[in-house]
Amino acid sequence: MTKSKVVFDPFSEEFFNGAWETYRRMQEEAPVYYSEEYDFYALTRHEDVAAGFKDFETYSSAYGIDLAMVRTGHPPPQKAIIFMDPPEHRHMRSLLNKVFTPRAIQSQRQMVTEKIQKYLNAADPDRFDVVQAFSGPFPVEVITTMLGVPEEHAQQVRHWIDESLHREPGQVEVGEKGMQANIQTAMLYYDLVKQRRAEPRDDLFSRLIDAEIERENGEKTKLDDIEIAGFTTLLGGAGAETVTKLVGNAPVVFARNPDQWQKLLDDRGKVPAAVEELLRYEAPSQYQVRRSMKEVHLHGVTIPAGKPVFLINGAANRDPDAWTDPDKFDIDRDRSEAQNLGFGYGIHSCLGAALARMESAIALEKLLDFMPRYEVDWDRCKRVNMQNVAGWQNVPVRVLR
Amino acid sequence: MKVEVDFGLCESNGVCMDIIPEVFHLGDDDMLSVLQSEVTPETEERVCEAVRQCPRQAISIKE
Repeated sequence: MTKSKVVFDPFSEEFFNGAWETYRRMQEEAPVYYSEEYDFYALTRHEDVAAGFKDFETYSSAYGIDLAMVRTGHPPPQKAIIFMDPPEHRHMRSLLNKVFTPRAIQSQRQMVTEKIQKYLNAADPDRFDVVQAFSGPFPVEVITTMLGVPEEHAQQVRHWIDESLHREPGQVEVGEKGMQANIQTAMLYYDLVKQRRAEPRDDLFSRLIDAEIERENGEKTKLDDIEIAGFTTLLGGAGAETVTKLVGNAPVVFARNPDQWQKLLDDRGKVPAAVEELLRYEAPSQYQVRRSMKEVHLHGVTIPAGKPVFLINGAANRDPDAWTDPDKFDIDRDRSEAQNLGFGYGIHSCLGAALARMESAIALEKLLDFMPRYEVDWDRCKRVNMQNVAGWQNVPVRVLR
Repeated sequence: MKVEVDFGLCESNGVCMDIIPEVFHLGDDDMLSVLQSEVTPETEERVCEAVRQCPRQAISIKE
């Protein structure tokens, strides 16, 4: 019997549920995978994904970073840092990168701790949905606080992000509700830029209003309202969605690996390592799409110029050529074996990585206090159906006493 | 062989300093400095590891 050809569909239940077996087959059987259905290519081996992130000249972000955008063949109308190549990208990133360094981010520690504690104080130990009551609401409050979005809008912002990323099986493009959500988000942020111009505060809106950026012609100018609204919208989304997934994965992964939870209970010093392992094991952002700017010859396959190429960091993080026993969740694993691509790599690597690490570590610490022993209500667990991010929408647990 | 840091890319993650503190130092101002730019047989392996592990790919070794 001949083995069927491996099929990877990023808009299917299989992807939403975690396509780990498909990734492994792609690495072995089709390291340069081609989707006949959607006309894209995909790289899954650690070596290839890392090299792809590094080589922005071959794999451009300027045509967008999801399939819907890249397959149009045109740069997206909205200017956003994630849709830029150097040198433009470098200029934009330099406006904020010193705000998010591991050291700079320490100034947010107390605020982050308070937000996290607030939600746990309100949680019912007998019926606690770790995502809906905790890992969903707190990260969006953290990032919107840093941005300067008033707290009363924070949860609305999160629901808009969810709507924008939501996909039904087979749905590549943003849906009607998602478009509406994007418009509402843009309007809120645009209004806030106007308000901060009139009355500056100590927040990222005001910082971006003050900032000057080097333009193509070498001149330095201020950002306009649309640029600032675009940048802050992006940060709001990136800072909310991802930590939600990482922390939401934790109760599931640890329930399946109770020995690892016990290690944390015994030694809190292992919390940062646990965050890294969660990030490796189930990267909240599974892939980024790039556009091939020239013909690429790899593993006997030719990727023509102008094609969408999926760089699947979620697969690379499970590559047996990079990691020993990659499907094993092991917080004590040797992290120097390979680069963890959970935050991407190279020029577009996650700007908020240090903030995400801090939030996740504090959240894990607090969960260890709140639910040292717990059981998951598996029947009521539900995955999200989203573009590029994967994780849980509901993880109900009961704290055991 | 010399260590070179692209300060336009560096975002002070400090991964390099954790790997080899005698070569890379992150100051109180969050600026990275290279304490010893010459790569020696004693430092080579760890400097190469720092090059590999830098999430920003800001470090390189020049002949």
